[in-house]
Amino acid sequence: MVQKNTYFGGLFSGLGSLLTGMKVTLREFFTRKTTECYPENRATLKMYDRFRGTLELIHNGQNEHKCIACGICEMNCPNGTIQIQSEFVTDENGKKRKILKAYRYDLGSCIFCQLCVVSCPQGALRFGTEFENAVFTREKLVKQLNHEGAVLEKKGV
Amino acid sequence: MFDFSVVTHWVDQLLRSFLPEGWAILTEFILIGLCLLVGYAVIALVLIYVERKVCAFFQCRLGPNRVGPYGLIQSVADMIKMLTKELITINHVDKFLFNLAPYIVIIASVIAFSCLPFAKGLEIIDFNVGAFFVMAVSSMGIVGILLAGWSSNNKYSLIGAMRSGAQMISYELSIGLSILTIIVFTDTMQLSQIVANQADGWFIFKGHIPAFIAFIIYLIAGTAETNRGPFDLPEADSELTAGYHTEYSGMHFGFFYLAEYLNMFIVAGMATTLFLGGWMPLHIGGWNGFNAIMDAIPSIIWFFGKTGGLIFIIMWFKWTFPRLRIDQLLTLEWKYLLPINLVNMFLMVIVVVFDLHF
Amino acid sequence: MENLKEYIEKRIPEAVEEGGEILTLKIEPGAFRELAVQLRNDFGFDYLVCMTGMDWGEKLGVIYHFRSTLSGENLVVKTEAFDRENPELFTVYDLWATAGLNEREIFDFFGIRFINHPDMRRLFLRNDWVGYPLRKDYDTGDTVNPVRLESDETLDVTPVLEAQEDGIVEEKEHVVFKDSEYVVNIGPQHPATHGVLRFRVSLEGEIVKKVDVNCGYIHRGIEKMCESMTYPQTLALTDRLDYLSAHQNRHALCMCIEKALGLEVPERAVYIRTIMDELTRVASHLLFWSTFCMDLGALTAFFYGFRDREKILNLLEETCGGRLIMNYNVIGGVMADIHPNFVKGVKDFIRYLPPMMKEYDEVFTGNIIARQRMKGIGVLTREQAISFGVTGPSGRASGWACDVRKVHPYGVYEKVAFTEIVREDGDVFGRYKVRLDEIRESLRILEQLIDAIPEGAYAVKTKPILKLPEGSYFSSVEASRGEFGVFIESRGEKNPYRMKFRSPGLPLVSVVDTLASGNKIADLIAIGGSLDYVVPDIDR
Repeated sequence: MVQKNTYFGGLFSGLGSLLTGMKVTLREFFTRKTTECYPENRATLKMYDRFRGTLELIHNGQNEHKCIACGICEMNCPNGTIQIQSEFVTDENGKKRKILKAYRYDLGSCIFCQLCVVSCPQGALRFGTEFENAVFTREKLVKQLNHEGAVLEKKGV
Repeated sequence: MFDFSVVTHWVDQLLRSFLPEGWAILTEFILIGLCLLVGYAVIALVLIYVERKVCAFFQCRLGPNRVGPYGLIQSVADMIKMLTKELITINHVDKFLFNLAPYIVIIASVIAFSCLPFAKGLEIIDFNVGAFFVMAVSSMGIVGILLAGWSSNNKYSLIGAMRSGAQMISYELSIGLSILTIIVFTDTMQLSQIVANQADGWFIFKGHIPAFIAFIIYLIAGTAETNRGPFDLPEADSELTAGYHTEYSGMHFGFFYLAEYLNMFIVAGMATTLFLGGWMPLHIGGWNGFNAIMDAIPSIIWFFGKTGGLIFIIMWFKWTFPRLRIDQLLTLEWKYLLPINLVNMFLMVIVVVFDLHF
Repeated sequence: MENLKEYIEKRIPEAVEEGGEILTLKIEPGAFRELAVQLRNDFGFDYLVCMTGMDWGEKLGVIYHFRSTLSGENLVVKTEAFDRENPELFTVYDLWATAGLNEREIFDFFGIRFINHPDMRRLFLRNDWVGYPLRKDYDTGDTVNPVRLESDETLDVTPVLEAQEDGIVEEKEHVVFKDSEYVVNIGPQHPATHGVLRFRVSLEGEIVKKVDVNCGYIHRGIEKMCESMTYPQTLALTDRLDYLSAHQNRHALCMCIEKALGLEVPERAVYIRTIMDELTRVASHLLFWSTFCMDLGALTAFFYGFRDREKILNLLEETCGGRLIMNYNVIGGVMADIHPNFVKGVKDFIRYLPPMMKEYDEVFTGNIIARQRMKGIGVLTREQAISFGVTGPSGRASGWACDVRKVHPYGVYEKVAFTEIVREDGDVFGRYKVRLDEIRESLRILEQLIDAIPEGAYAVKTKPILKLPEGSYFSSVEASRGEFGVFIESRGEKNPYRMKFRSPGLPLVSVVDTLASGNKIADLIAIGGSLDYVVPDIDR
């Protein structure tokens, strides 16, 4: 063991420590690189299925969703991200019913706290894994989540 | 081995054949100046690209890979960007000195660059105090850096410039002494002669222990002289944001940037010339076949190959070590490098006097 | 505790007891200062955990949470200022140094001025801010404090209230920097401050003479926002305090609310929470290592740390759905059950990291340049650490065993074997080494827990709107960089009356001046890096 407090001991142990460091970096120089080429690997890039990208209103194959426009998600949202526009219609039995007109969601102010998804009594919401959300203006971040012409899913069908 | 003086003589003859002597020499000056600047710029661009790639590979990254195949023309794109950027005029600076500083830095480095013997017969300035001249010119750059820091009227810049002053003046000593060690050994300061003397063996082998120590010291001091990591205190980005060139923009910043890379090249090139035989191929006594193959490789490739190897080592330093603190920096110079250097020179004198070298 | 109660009754008859989980005293402002001196000197309450400014409606006041580092006893003291218009209290800055910045914060939010405090500037808000935002009668309209576009002038003199010998309080001025001093701004935009923090540094050549911390560049008023949110909503904000210990912060808030509700958390959730806490700690310490190396100029080391931290973030993302803002703890348990791959992933990581740690040691810890830059620089003594309330790895490097996981065990920390890393050196190297060793300890904890997760529910169902019973509650956890505490005062409504976060970051910046003065600029950067503060946590 070299004496570290002597002049030459200090010099050589110091040099030794520098060479150890250089050995490590040289080893890393030849190992496989960890970064990825992002837009090129788009086809193979898969996010974890629980990843919170954007809020989605679940639609089934017949363009039906489960939202009954109760407004619980709107109330639970800490940021006022969700706006629900509803209207009253009279159905075939003559009953007045509240249905969803537009489910507006402002991605720009969403903090992804998941309270809307958790609190939804119908299980109508979920977070999708879409992550490429860049747009040019803030207005484009305000999205309508219910698809055009979508209606409420009928129970028991 | 191909001698570049054939080409230069041919050009000289050609010009003289239809121009009077004065004009011919003037034309040659201009041609050489152009070649020099183009060479300077190209080497800088290549070095910037290489540094990025090398740095990335040390850091488990891929480095530039967007512009061109493997990002090859990334630094060209950067150059175009730099050239088209605005030179922002700043209030409360000493305008004259502020604008002068980058030119001093770049001119010092271009002149030093022009002294290097790149290949057999390819030397631009070659006179009997060549080594001394390179040292003198390359240390001119410090004036530019000090001026830049002072005239910027910025506290970070000033601290950076002061650090740089202390650092460069200290390490100049070590560079000078290690070059002196070789001059003691080779008996000449003319760079072409120094290279020629290494025909039968590079100095690092011929001068064995003292030459090797001088080489190591030269490499360390040279890295410090170029303000590169781990000696990048003058621009320590985590302390002084960018040090002396904080206030510079556009091509003026570009000059500092280019000069930094070219200074690295010059340091490596000088180390090649002084210790690794310049453009001389590797010869091993008695292995005639091997020597013949080595001779077949053009001298310019030898020079750039060796210089490239040294540049890689300097980059390797930078991307491995943490930055020194100013007192560590000065301790390293004054307590370690300088005394070792002096003893080493004495050792070299003994080697020369008693003819202990190979 | 009973002893202490009797003792205090005898010695300080002015103090009125209030009920509560922790022994709580209420005292008149006139007698407060005397009580404070006795608590500090005779009763050994040397650690001021948390100072909470309060607006009780009629009166303004302060709640002090004290802890004795010897006996571990807790004590809460409440005091009210006489006058709502012009509230004044005596400072305890000279007894507990941590009060220095905390009193400035209280002045900033409540307008309570502290007599004899040397520096009564606002801490977070602009100097031209109108009113005191955390007072209940504060007008939150846009007209009072519009968005100002002109820059805020930095003042070199601060107003001070000084009590004279005859008891009369006089207003004076205190000079922070003289005109002749060479003052350099490190920040708010500076690579070494890890965020938008601003140090004004007085230099003499390379030597730092004095550091003045200016915070508030990322102040979002989270405590104020919480007052208008329901309890489940407040959870989302804790992840955004110290974003590197998002999980632990949220754990603290959940624990506090669950304690108030008397909610029993399923065993499985407790295990999962503890595992997540430790993963977050490892990730945070890896980030510390990386950024610290970068501050010292070793850029390559930075990437090695990030490369390995990425593996944890992947694990967290797979289970929690987020990499940085995990959003995983909920009141009564966790958001979702662990992902099927989680256990395997954690086990792989436990195997993966130790060789990498060896690499860290080779490339940086052993490096002669790094060692010389770290050893003996910025020594924080144990007394200073306690007085400033510097907890976490930084406090432990100074020899103060302050790990909340050992002092007040929560989660399943009682059931696992791990060593609390305590070092005596107190310098930059000590703080650096404690963190590296803690990574190893965290891996040990993970190893013990990962196979022991019991079966069962991962959460109990709670209502979306919760009402906490009236009272005040405090709980704290060991976050990545110190004790993170949550104080809630509830009036039985669906949103908290007052919610205070005891941030581990504020004490860390308050010691920068003490540590850096007399050292070089490069040391200031190393000291800042070794304290490892996170700015959103300071500013809140």
